[in-house]
Amino acid sequence: MNSIILHLVFIILGIVILYTLRNIKSLYIVHVLISFLSLLFSINALVTKKFLIQTHIDIIQIIPNLFISFSLDGLGIIFLITSNALWLMTAIYSDKYLELNKYKNKAKFYIFFTLSMFATNAIIYSSNLLTAFIFYEILTISTYPLVTFKGDSDSISNGKKYLYYLLGTSIIFLLPAIIIIYSIAGTLDYEIGGILASYNNPLMIKILIILLIFGVAKSAIMPFHKWLPFAMIAPTPVSALLHAVAVVKSGVFIIIKVVLYIFGPLILQESGANIIIILFASITILLSSIIAIKQDSIKLRLAYSTIGQLSYIVLAIAILAPYSILAATLHLIFHAIGKIILFLTAGIITTGIGIKKVSEMNGLASKFPYTIFLMSLGALIMIGIPPTIGFISKWYLIVGIIESTKIYLLAVIIISTLLNASYYLPMIYKPYFKSFETKYNESNSEDMRLVTPVIIIGLAAIILFFNTDSIIIFIQEYIIKL
Amino acid sequence: MNQLPILIIILPLLLIPILLLIRKNEQVYLLSIIISFINLILVCLLFYHVQHSGPLFYELGSWKAPIGIRLNADLLSCYFLLLINLMSFICLISGKELINRQIEKENIYLFYIAWLLCNIGFAGIILTNDIFNLFVFLEISSLSSYFLISQGNYKGSMIAAIQYLFIGSIGAVFILLGIGILYVHTGTLNMSDISDNIINAKISLSIIFAIGLFFLGIGIKSAIFPLHGWLIRTYAYSPSVIVAYFSGTSTKIGIYILIRVFLDILNNINPFEYYSLAQLILFLSLVGALLSTIYAIKQTEIKKMFAFSSVAQISYILIAIMILTPEGVAASLIHVFNHSIIKTGLFLIIAILFVNNQNIKLDDLSGLGKNHPFFMSAFVVLSLGLIGLPLTSGFISKWYIIQSLIHSDYWYISIVVLITSFMTLLYMWKIIEKIYFSESVNNNVITILNHQVIGVFVLMALTIYLGLDASFTTSVSGEIATSLLGSEIK
Repeated sequence: MNSIILHLVFIILGIVILYTLRNIKSLYIVHVLISFLSLLFSINALVTKKFLIQTHIDIIQIIPNLFISFSLDGLGIIFLITSNALWLMTAIYSDKYLELNKYKNKAKFYIFFTLSMFATNAIIYSSNLLTAFIFYEILTISTYPLVTFKGDSDSISNGKKYLYYLLGTSIIFLLPAIIIIYSIAGTLDYEIGGILASYNNPLMIKILIILLIFGVAKSAIMPFHKWLPFAMIAPTPVSALLHAVAVVKSGVFIIIKVVLYIFGPLILQESGANIIIILFASITILLSSIIAIKQDSIKLRLAYSTIGQLSYIVLAIAILAPYSILAATLHLIFHAIGKIILFLTAGIITTGIGIKKVSEMNGLASKFPYTIFLMSLGALIMIGIPPTIGFISKWYLIVGIIESTKIYLLAVIIISTLLNASYYLPMIYKPYFKSFETKYNESNSEDMRLVTPVIIIGLAAIILFFNTDSIIIFIQEYIIKL
Repeated sequence: MNQLPILIIILPLLLIPILLLIRKNEQVYLLSIIISFINLILVCLLFYHVQHSGPLFYELGSWKAPIGIRLNADLLSCYFLLLINLMSFICLISGKELINRQIEKENIYLFYIAWLLCNIGFAGIILTNDIFNLFVFLEISSLSSYFLISQGNYKGSMIAAIQYLFIGSIGAVFILLGIGILYVHTGTLNMSDISDNIINAKISLSIIFAIGLFFLGIGIKSAIFPLHGWLIRTYAYSPSVIVAYFSGTSTKIGIYILIRVFLDILNNINPFEYYSLAQLILFLSLVGALLSTIYAIKQTEIKKMFAFSSVAQISYILIAIMILTPEGVAASLIHVFNHSIIKTGLFLIIAILFVNNQNIKLDDLSGLGKNHPFFMSAFVVLSLGLIGLPLTSGFISKWYIIQSLIHSDYWYISIVVLITSFMTLLYMWKIIEKIYFSESVNNNVITILNHQVIGVFVLMALTIYLGLDASFTTSVSGEIATSLLGSEIK
């Protein structure tokens, strides 16, 4: 059987196993095992170069001439390995986290977590827009029980808004966009150069672009970004993996795919529709950074930071210069790593000592040495200061901007970097240089079982900085010729 | 094979006197189930036959067409016939216990007989090729439904039944008048003949008047906004299983008559162009879709919420028909099938959970997710279908409706359809939230029997199957639409 199908069927099987074993105590081992094997499947695809074969595997014909079908390309493999590797780390982290925070019904958590990752993997594998749309909706529905996991009235009301935002935008904007594209092109397959490449109607292209920006609300481009702060009510592993990596990046991933393989760079540039994306993304970058400064809650600050960072990727892709596409791909990986570190460390602090606000982080470095160090690393990645990987993607983004002669965008990058620094530096400064307040229980400290997976991610981040060449060579070979 | 159309009508009709003699509830139920099953198989055979060898005519008593009565089984008839008989069979299977608990003991066998009679009426309407016969069958089904509705043991059941009788009769009278006028102008009652003769007849004011009468009559029957008031009350006060049955059949019969009369019999004179009838209906349906969705959101009573939801869904069906393209008609036919299955399933679940409770509030559903996780999963799937999320049949109908709208001159209507379909999420999620996140208020343990589960799960499976592989609904409805409006579909 094909390795893609095997991978997806395996995850489904994993869900069934989780369900049948739901009463055993060490269920998390099963979950870790599933995520580990899922990572092996992804690595296997990379090693065997399966992604080179561009054949579509048609599963079922949903609508005449429209199939659920899968394939894998260079961009897909990068996102695939990133999300599955981080899934493994989050899986290790989850067990202790849920236990320390006294969450009940772990089985439900693992089942829907795995289901969400299944949907994410399926989005990565999808070879046409309809398949992506179907699993996009499944992803929304399967994260809903995780967002409302606490079950109190706050999380139910937030979960409802989460669902309304994501389903609503996809029904009202994304679905008609897909139907219009299908009517024009007669197909929805991703094709290099774009299936709308020969469609000469600038107004329609612009309308479609706006529908897509609004419709793929998972990419959190303003004005439909509010669901992400709402989703922060979920347990930390959910916020970390799903709402900093899997879910949001799926949205961005679909936008990248649509830009490159549905419209095609040429028609977007000719019709000037990419300016619309640049505009929305730039506004989002600036506004979200300003809002983030005002947030005192760590998680909310991180959420607004995510909104801005996602728009970096979207901005980079919309510039349509080879180097900016490189930057988008790199940032897809690097932001995922940096942001998951930030979320997981924030979770460790909240679990250990109950602190949820930036203003209360004074002197924490003494109690949480590893955690604060890792958090600082994450923050530096977000700001883009060398020697962290965040610097590399920002570097290539700037190269791309200069290459495309849209020099005014440099202002957006510079201002937002300053804003990023202004809200991330307190998260480094306060724990290290202010003294610990005694009103918190001093005996609590970091739990090494929570810290270990984060250390691994942190090490990976440092190793990656010195090995970016290999990734860039890969991107050059399989995604974009520089 | 040639006898199939008449067998579908005559077999249950012959059984009814026998049932009247038996008078034992158990045996009557058993025979009703058997005859429904036989009928379903006959319909499937007929469907297969028509699909492969074209329409089937049956001359009653071998009298040739204009003089004798002719039954006409074409693809359109078979499509609706299959739907009606499927719904009837499933509701009968799941409804046994509900009927036993809700209907007075001495009336139960009569209840089954009325049910069969109602189904005969529906089948007759669909199969006949004689427009006066259509009226007769319409009356048969109306009278038996009147009895069925009145058997509800709620306070308002009688009033609802009388109202149904009155309004139904008014609708029928309109249709009868329309038939009369057509007869005067064409000199025939045979549908194919009318269709041929009407081209030659001068289009006078009275024919236009007849068109108006037909529209009013059919509008009442199919609960077209703003003629939907009876539907809300009927759904609220009928015996619960009858609501499930009617939600999948009775309004759809109205849609069938609409398509048959306007797009088949009168198609040669383009009835929708007079006084911009199509635009008028489009406008009404748009307002209807919006308003009834808003009403549904405001409702706290489940049955009424679903009733308003039905009005909205019928509006979608009409919108798709009224853009008058083969694509639109195909889309509406797809939605007729899918919506019937979904809504019958939803009503059936509600009926099974709360047999004797007329006033089912939102709060009554609290905690059901914990108590019946398996059973309520069907509710969630059907709800997702109603919202129109992918992998359910509702998504297929939505896709086709939007696509046909975008291809037509009325692309902007799709905006309203999309927004109202999002609003469907608002009221359905209110229910799902109640089911899964609220603690149970009353400790009454609801027992759910196996045969009830089967019916619901068959409907759920159909919803998923028709969402995964829509080739049946899309190809059949595409063929019907092409044969009605005559041009190829993209």
